[in-house]
Parts: sequence; structure tokens; C-alpha cells
Amino acid sequence: MRRGNTTPGTPTSLREANRGRIVDAVKRFGGLTQVELAAATGLSTATVSTIVRELLDAGVVETHATSRSGRRAVKVTMARRLGLVAGVEVGPRALRVALGDLTLSVVADQTMPLPSDHRSDTTLDRAALLVVDLLDRVGAELDELLAIGLAMPGPVDSATGEVTVRGVLRGWDDLHVGQVLSKRLARPVHVDKDANLAALAEHDLGAAREHHDSVYVRVGHTTSAGLVLGDRLHRGYAGTAGEIGHVQVDPAGPVCRCGNRGCLDTVVGAQALLGSLRSSHGDLTLRDLIAHAGEGDPGCRRVVADAGRAVGEVVAGLVTVLNPQVVVVGGELARTGDVLLDPLRTAILTHAIPGRLAPVEVVPAALGDRAEVLGALALARQQTDVQHAHLLRHGHGDDALSGTGSGAGSGPRSGAGLGEGDDVGHPGTQRADGGAHESEAS
Amino acid sequence: MLSLRGIDKSFGPVVALEGVDLDVHAHEVVALVGDNAAGKSTLAKVVAGVLSPDAGLIEMAGRPVTIGSAAQARALGIATVFQELALCDNLDVVQNLFLGQELRRGRGLDEEAMEDRAREILRDLTSRIPSVRTPLAVLSAGQRQTVAIARTLLGSPRVVVLDEPTASLSVAQTAEVLTHIESLRNLGHGVILISHNMGDVRAVADRIEVLRHGRNNGSFPAAAVSYEEVVAAITGASRPRAVAG
Ligand SMILES: Nc1ncnc2c1ncn2[C@@H]1O[C@H](COP(=O)(O)OP(=O)(O)O)[C@@H](O)[C@H]1O
Ligand SMILES: [Mg+2]
Ligand SMILES: [Zn+2]
Repeated sequence: MRRGNTTPGTPTSLREANRGRIVDAVKRFGGLTQVELAAATGLSTATVSTIVRELLDAGVVETHATSRSGRRAVKVTMARRLGLVAGVEVGPRALRVALGDLTLSVVADQTMPLPSDHRSDTTLDRAALLVVDLLDRVGAELDELLAIGLAMPGPVDSATGEVTVRGVLRGWDDLHVGQVLSKRLARPVHVDKDANLAALAEHDLGAAREHHDSVYVRVGHTTSAGLVLGDRLHRGYAGTAGEIGHVQVDPAGPVCRCGNRGCLDTVVGAQALLGSLRSSHGDLTLRDLIAHAGEGDPGCRRVVADAGRAVGEVVAGLVTVLNPQVVVVGGELARTGDVLLDPLRTAILTHAIPGRLAPVEVVPAALGDRAEVLGALALARQQTDVQHAHLLRHGHGDDALSGTGSGAGSGPRSGAGLGEGDDVGHPGTQRADGGAHESEAS
Repeated sequence: MLSLRGIDKSFGPVVALEGVDLDVHAHEVVALVGDNAAGKSTLAKVVAGVLSPDAGLIEMAGRPVTIGSAAQARALGIATVFQELALCDNLDVVQNLFLGQELRRGRGLDEEAMEDRAREILRDLTSRIPSVRTPLAVLSAGQRQTVAIARTLLGSPRVVVLDEPTASLSVAQTAEVLTHIESLRNLGHGVILISHNMGDVRAVADRIEVLRHGRNNGSFPAAAVSYEEVVAAITGASRPRAVAG
């Protein structure tokens, strides 16, 4: 990093190292008082105070007054450049919320385990409260929040956030998720499915960073894919592009929750995998299966490997049709590493059209289980960029937008904003003006 | 790992526990749920060695044991966070963690070792408490719960008992504590989680055990059971299927 060309042990490199420690601590905790910073880094309060002043001048950090848990305190936070965006991921068993600024930094995040079949009203209440708490953690007000990106575990109608394939989350069908969350926070909410947003994040920041055409395969409770073609997210006409979980693999197989027969998900979905282990291993959860496979349990490894092969055979078709440079494999089952990846890769290379010039690469996701929420942040940024494009071109250098700009996914239908989006354009606009000077020094 | 069979406990005329069975394994979160006065805290105190049962058998790793005192419980690898946290507001995080079990070096305290260990445990729990020298008085309710949980980890316990750890916490604080509970399981501990918040319980538990009027009234795999089924067992609308042991 920046430290590269200074000699270790010189005062300069020591100061650089101390700066690094302070910035790391601020990033990790969201916001800290100078006294807390001294304690967290082991540096003296005098050193902290000097370095914080430098970082303030350089526009790297900001100070904000908060009254968290009743105490008034001035917290040092990362500089927010123009405002904040939130990313929310609603998963079958977890809620993840992150706050980011308009650069690529995440300023605070929190995960919350959820019960199976969690209720939409409770979960969206919790999502809203977590967003507010994270804002409070970094000393920000709700009006600094420009937009929210929301990742849902299935294809959604981008106008309303309604999940368009039935049965993805029990009790969430017919719900305009984006509008419901938008009402709770009075901010614009942009919704897309988790695999699309993970694909976006891996393209912007992760394993597909070097490539224009990539397929992100998400193998978890269900299976789906996100397609990035020519650096743009391809959602399809109704948002169901990449739904490989509903490609038929067995014409005589069981009926799928979508109504078709023998879909890939009826073979490799969590229910199917756990069902095939029931007589030998008893009642397991997906997490148990992943843990046992990691520990070397042969039955669990076999089930994951067979799933990898079945998914790979379907992805091979996608690879033949779309000719991506890379297939990125993520989702809960990808935590088993090569147990899933090796057979999946073999199946792709066996069944896809042989590329003599450049065979497709099949690689693990780089962002792990944070890909979806990082993608949700990217979506919120993109939509904000679209709304404020003229301003951003003005007062802002290109550094703050690198990687999030008009690249992937900002196609016309990509997570198109909700009606409310227009109403809140103005506060964001004012902040953008006010924050513009901060970017100069960074 | 820890196994209780036929535990009875009365307070004079009040029968708090009657023939209660409970098992906890490594890598497992068992939730103990039930209405007020169902006997949950009493059972926690029996496991913690604070109360001695009138009858019943306790086994740890297959061997019969008596848990006569809190110290004995700790020696057996059982750590408990009680409903009333028993933390000292005027002391800092390190002092609270090591209260009564300070690390010594020569004749003095080994402050450095205690700080290092405190940081390590808080990191394992992915805690957000920035400084281990913060006085407890300024921490939020959620952070105090974190300190209480961290304290149980000092003795490298095998079983951690948490009595109502999310009562009176905000959503964000609850999220933190539930995440800690998942960390405890991932670290390999067995966890007994006492709560009457069904959402929290179903979020992190592997198994749900219902107590009603001091007796077992149902056992459910948490991933498969519905909210309504658990509530029916708590209210007594449903009875446990007749399975012995
Ligand atoms: N120390 C005690 N002395 C007398 N009665 C007690 C004592 N502790 C608990 N009890 C009684 O035992 C029953 C079970 O209480 P408790 O275990 O605290 O229930 P829970 O934690 O499920 O709400 C209640 O009727 C309570 O009043
Ligand atoms: Mg109690
Ligand atoms: Zn289907």
C-alpha cells in the first residue's frame, strides 16, 4: 500500500503505520472518540490527537457529535463524501445491514440471525431499526442517507421489490418489499435479487474484477446466478435472468415450488440435500451439513460434491450460451471450498463448449458472505449516481466513483428507483454540494 | 455433553422443577423456553451450582457429577450468565472479566496478560467494545451483556448458560448478542439459552425445550418447528408426545 516506498523504522514510516492503525480502528468500530481510539490502538492520546488532525485536514476522517446511549460525545468517523447509502440483505436465516459512503468504503455493518420462516413485517421493522442504529453508531442522521439497496433471495420486480417467483420466502409473496421498507425509513429503496447483487459486487470489487463478462453462481438454500455481460448486470425483461435453480434437470422429478417439474433446486436445494441425509444423519440444518463436510464427513461431502456436479452441468449450458470469461462460485455451500468447487468446475469444463483459445475460469467468490450486502450498497450508489450524476461530475474528482460509476448494472431496468426516490432528491443534492470540498485532499 | 435426568427442586411448598430432563451437546444451542415461573432460572441455577437439586442425576461427558457450588460448576466447565448480570459499574471491562479470577505475576496483577486475554475474547465474539479499559458504567445494555458473556469464556468452558440475555435490549443490541451466541456455538461450546422471545430463540437455537409448571412439555428441532407449535407447548395447549429418554 502507501507504506511501500518508505523505509521501515524511519519516523515517516512509523507515522504512516500509526495512521494506518487509526484508520483501521475507525473502520472497524464505525465511530470512536479520541480516547477510545487511543485505547483501541494503544497509541497515546497526544499521538491520536495529532494524527486525527492530519486525517481531518486530508479529508479522510470527519468528526460528529453523537448522543449514543445517552452520552454526548464527539466521534471520529470515516469521511462520508456527499452522504451515505445503506445495503440490506434479507436472507432465509439472516439479516445483514451495512452503511457505506459514496466511495467504496463500508463504514459500519451488523448481522442479525433470523428464525426460519421469519415474518416480513418483523424483519423489515428490524432492518429499518438496524439501519437507524448504524447511522447512530457513526453519528449520522437519517437525512444523510441517500438511498437503500435491498437484496432479496429471489428475482424481484424492480419497480416494487415484489418477489416474482412464488415460495422463495414463505409469507413474503405479493409483498411490495421495497415500498414497505421505503415507508419505514422515508428513503428511496432499490431492490434486486441476491445473486444479481453479489454478481455486481464480485464484478466491481471481487473475483471478476478483471473481466467484462462473468457469471456468478450462488449455491445456498436455493441456486441462482447473476449475469454480468459487457460490464452490465443482465436482469432480463422481468428480472428472472439467471434463475438456474429452475432449469429442468429431471423431467420425471418432483414438482418444484415454482410449479414446474424436476427443477435443479428440487435436486440441489437445501431441502433436497438435507432430505437425502435424513436416514443416515438424522435432522441436519444446512449449516450442519456445511460444517460436517468441512470436517471430512464422507456422506456430507458426497452430497455436496454431487450437488456441485449437478449445478456445474446446468452452468455449463450458460457458459456455452453466454461465453463468460469467468464463473464465480459463492453462496453458503461455497464455504465447503473444493468439496463443491472441484466437481462443479469439472462438470462445467466437461459439458460446456470447449474454448480452445481461452477456457472459462471457475473460481471461488472473493467477497464470501458479504457479497450480497456489498452489492446492495453498490446498487444504492448507482441509483444515487444516476440521480446526482450532474452534481457528481461537477464537484467531485473521479476517485470517489472508481468502480461504482456507470459500469455494471446501470442498465435502464436495473433496480429502477421507487416513486419516493424523486421526493428525496433535494436533501441529497444539498449535501452533495456541501461535501464536495472534502474530496479534494484524499 | 451435559445431561440432566429427573431433576426435582422445591422451595418449601412451591414445586419449581419436577422430573426435568435436559441434554446439551458440543456445538449446540439448546433453548429453554416457558412462561414466567416455569422453572427456567431455577434449572439454570441448578446447572450453575447455585442451587442443589432435591433429586435427579447430572452427568458431564458421561460421568455422574455433583455440582455443589459455583466454583465446582466452573471446574466442570460450566459457565453461567444470570439474569441479573452481577457486573460492577465502577470497574472497567478487564477488571469485570477477571473479578475474583485475576491473573497474577509475582505478587502483583498481570495487567498486560489480562488485557491481552480480554481483547482476544472480545475479538472471538466479534464484539464492538473498542477499549477493554472502558468503565462498565458507560457501556450500553448490549455491551454489558457482551462483557458478561465474555466473562464466561475465561475458563474455556464446555457449556455456557445464558438466562434471558436479550431481555430489555434494542434490536441492534439483540443482533449483537445473537451473533455472539452463534460465535459460541462455532467455537464449539454447548449453549443453554433461556428466553421467552420466540423470534430470538428460533433464530439461533438448534433445539427448543419447553418447560411448563416445572416439567418438560415438548422438545422441537428449531429449524423445523413453527412459532405456533412452540407457543402451544408453552401454554399447555399441546402435550409432549410420550417419549421416554
Ligand atoms: N429462591 C426462591 N425461593 C422461593 N421460591 C422461588 C425461588 N426461586 C424461584 N422460586 C419459585 O420457583 C418457581 C420457578 O421460578 P423461576 O425458575 O425463576 O422461573 P422462570 O425463570 O421460568 O420465570 C416460581 O414459582 C418462583 O416463584
Ligand atoms: Mg427467569
Ligand atoms: Zn422450479
